[in-house]
Amino acid sequence: MAELTDASIPKFAPGCRWGGTTEAPVVLFPEGAIRVEGTGRIILELCDGHFSLAEIVQKLETQFILAPKGKIRADVLVFLEQLHAKRIVDY
Amino acid sequence: MAQCSNPLALIAEITHRCPLHCVYCSNPLELTSRQEELATGDWLRVFDEAAALGVLHLHLTGGEPLARPDLTELIEGARRARLYTNLITSGIGLSRERLTQLVGAGLDHIQLSFQDTSEGQANWIAGTRAHAHKVELAGWIREHRIAFTVNLVVHRQNIDHLDAMIRALEALRPDRMEIAHAQYYGWALQNRPALLPTRAQLDDAVAVVRAAEERLRGQVRIDMVVPDYHARYPKACMGGWGRQLLLIDPAGRALPCHAAGVIPGLRFDNVRERALGWIWQSSEAFQKFRGEEWMAEPCRSCDRRKEDFGGCRCQAFLLTGDARATDPVCELAPLHHLIEDAVRVDAVTGLAPAAREAPFHVLQENMAGFWSYRTDPK
Repeated sequence: MAELTDASIPKFAPGCRWGGTTEAPVVLFPEGAIRVEGTGRIILELCDGHFSLAEIVQKLETQFILAPKGKIRADVLVFLEQLHAKRIVDY
Repeated sequence: MAQCSNPLALIAEITHRCPLHCVYCSNPLELTSRQEELATGDWLRVFDEAAALGVLHLHLTGGEPLARPDLTELIEGARRARLYTNLITSGIGLSRERLTQLVGAGLDHIQLSFQDTSEGQANWIAGTRAHAHKVELAGWIREHRIAFTVNLVVHRQNIDHLDAMIRALEALRPDRMEIAHAQYYGWALQNRPALLPTRAQLDDAVAVVRAAEERLRGQVRIDMVVPDYHARYPKACMGGWGRQLLLIDPAGRALPCHAAGVIPGLRFDNVRERALGWIWQSSEAFQKFRGEEWMAEPCRSCDRRKEDFGGCRCQAFLLTGDARATDPVCELAPLHHLIEDAVRVDAVTGLAPAAREAPFHVLQENMAGFWSYRTDPK
């Protein structure tokens, strides 16, 4: 599996995109859909091909100033690696 | 009335016409003719109604959906309705230019079927020369940013070289691979003696797929469908009757699954006459086996009933003659011996006729008695 580093630029894999409604968005992919809420949604909205992992983590750290040091990066890594194994996110 | 969730996916069999004659085709034995097919406008209305019901995914299939000249228009309409649109195709008849048009119309995902990865063998199973074009088409698909699935149907005539087939298919750089063991309905049920693998072959195949999943993690997602004849418990067919999926056949009849037409006495309402929402919620066919009311023992008091919904109603009918019976795949089913007998009689390795290229009518004649090819609609 490809390694996710600070320089990686995570984005939707081919054929994966937003769907549903603004109030209840879902990520659509072949044969499935996942509802994403809260932080998951914020992370995925940053996976538009414009930001590196380091930039995404930095943006989240600005937004969640009370999170313990390093926790946000660790959480983002786990989240994106899971979606990568399902071929929903590439980096 | 059993409580009713909203459907998540619509399978649109837009035509039964197909240039291939695959011996395990899941279409019914009675095929719909071109004259009976729904018009473009009917399909577009159905897509809008489906989206309003909560459907997220549309699977355009057939037959060969490319046989419909209005396919681009159908995809545009589906995208307008905000459906995630998947084209399930053999690829025959798809030029590079037409592919670009379909993608431009909003296609999200293309699923290309393979019969084998050695050309002679693939053409033998499909009853036509199709393989070389599919390989070329795979290259064109990768020029576009859409999801690409390769689908391989596995059975006793190709299962022993599954590892080599997976390696050949991964060279086509798909995002996803479906390793789908033949399911025994329609044409596959007729040809079961030539197709059903042995238990040992299945175990080897599962190990091959597990190893491929490890090797390709993050690169190709692999989904496997196993043949339920070797399982202890039945599959949750279609995620339960009338719970998640609906299928519209080429003539507009709405069915809870591909094979439901075999169940006698069921009336399938047509989207030409009825709104899709009414069909889903209130029509007799969709309510017939929804929920648990219809269940007999041992299902009725079984803990697994919420997981597998008693298994497949069509398989229960095809094998026991009673659509309400527990799916005989289940080891708890009173008629489970029907599956054991089928495995004992049919899942036997033996010499197959050598794969060879010939015009379809010659192949049909040469293979008579071994298997029968899917024929064309009248």
